Amino acid sequence: MREVSVVGVGMVPFAKYRDKTLAEIGWPAVKAAIEDAGVDKRDIEAAYCGSALGGMMSGQRVLKQLGITGLPIINVENACSSSSSAFRQAYISVAAGVYDVALVLGVEKLTKFGGGTLPLEEEDFEVTHGLVMPALYGMRARRYMHDYGLTDKQLAGVAVKAHKHGSLNPEAQFRNEVTVEEVMAAREIAQPFTLLHCCPSGDGAAAVIIMSVEKARQYTTKPVRVACSEVNSGKYMTGFRDMTTPEITVRGAKQAYEEAGIGPDDVDVAEVHDAFTIAELLYYEALGFCAKGDAAKLLEDGETSLGGRIPVNPSGGLLSRGHPIGATGAAQIVEVVRHLRGQAGDRQVEGAKVGLTHCTGGGISGFDHGACSIHMFSV
Amino acid sequence: MGQAAEDTIEQPLLAGNAVRVGADGTVYLVGVQCAGCQTKVFPPVPVCPECMSEDIDKIDLSSDGSLYSWSVVHVAPKGWNVPYIAGYVDLPDDVRVFAHITGADPGSLEMDMAVTLTTAVLGDKDGAAVESYAFTPKQA
Repeated sequence: MREVSVVGVGMVPFAKYRDKTLAEIGWPAVKAAIEDAGVDKRDIEAAYCGSALGGMMSGQRVLKQLGITGLPIINVENACSSSSSAFRQAYISVAAGVYDVALVLGVEKLTKFGGGTLPLEEEDFEVTHGLVMPALYGMRARRYMHDYGLTDKQLAGVAVKAHKHGSLNPEAQFRNEVTVEEVMAAREIAQPFTLLHCCPSGDGAAAVIIMSVEKARQYTTKPVRVACSEVNSGKYMTGFRDMTTPEITVRGAKQAYEEAGIGPDDVDVAEVHDAFTIAELLYYEALGFCAKGDAAKLLEDGETSLGGRIPVNPSGGLLSRGHPIGATGAAQIVEVVRHLRGQAGDRQVEGAKVGLTHCTGGGISGFDHGACSIHMFSV
Repeated sequence: MGQAAEDTIEQPLLAGNAVRVGADGTVYLVGVQCAGCQTKVFPPVPVCPECMSEDIDKIDLSSDGSLYSWSVVHVAPKGWNVPYIAGYVDLPDDVRVFAHITGADPGSLEMDMAVTLTTAVLGDKDGAAVESYAFTPKQA
């Protein structure tokens, strides 16, 4: 397998684009990534598009706007892990030597559903009985609070940090800071979550150009190396499962760290899947940033805030940057690459050399999560 | 527990073949057990997810379980009576069941408390009540 580099990144601010089509939301992100890479669009040999609910041929619908057609365009659906899974497919194709230049796109338009909780698969038994994502994460939270003594106030602190980071990100859906009191007093969604514990519904797109390292050197003197690329499915369990331990992330992190030859202590910046406040705390532990049960302390000590030991979600994360689900994985990669290049503006993690992205997708019975993708990058 | 009886009365419950109502009105959750590897699954499936055997039997699952976790849901798709309590119930059959928890004040619920099977109206569709299985705290 060849070494692979990220050469171009681009995204559109996450927001509610009710009057735009999926294609109209998507193309500016692709154009930005192409311009950032300095590559001729005709040199792109294959495109991989992640979208969960964009509908048939999302990739073709976006890419025809820019005349990027006649190449293999592969559409990838893996719920919230769609574009991170698309990235892995692109990575494999370049690493294997099939292509030298590939495009990854993530695009989603959730405003077409009119708001409310994410529409889940109606064939799923638990969904037919009223399972919604806030309830699923809410049950994780309640069990964790019971088992590890986490308080409502500590949990609200995750949203406070997310909004503080998001306030520094011009591409975030929410750019307002919030207080613990505001988080706790917001409208109830699913216990223990108020609205500010939940990622917003929204639209967006993000794109990444990757190349073999040899090819990348033609375009940049500072390519960002893909240190590992990992995607897993969850393990289907019909009986007991410990909802305080996200097994798919624990398993994936172990594989990712082994593949990269890099441990959790070496990670300088991470974008993790904080769809709901509890998720970020569970992932501190699952990714090895702290021991089991210590996540709230890690947050309270400021270790995961900008300026801390391991800043997590400097973009504002899903809670503040937003979560147009199929676009999230690619947007996380855009964010981490910017930090590694020193281009993250007011939220720059100084001297970042190693970054990690983590994106899970869930919402079907019997899984902790249906999919999870972890990538690491280094300079 | 045991083989599902033949002389059952079908009722229009949301859960379809995952619930059985006995001749005396007793409600049972119906699962399957693989004849080969003994794995139990809820709701019923035609093939064993452990060993892929299609030699599986319908069984009545235990009606008593323990509440693993729950959440009071205020925002849900149209049709559900909100707020409702969503929970996971672990049965001694080593089967986890997603269920509405009814007949209880949320403040009275405790982790791992004993709950028992019941039925309840959970919402409505086109003006008609939607009823299904649910769990409720077991009376001491």
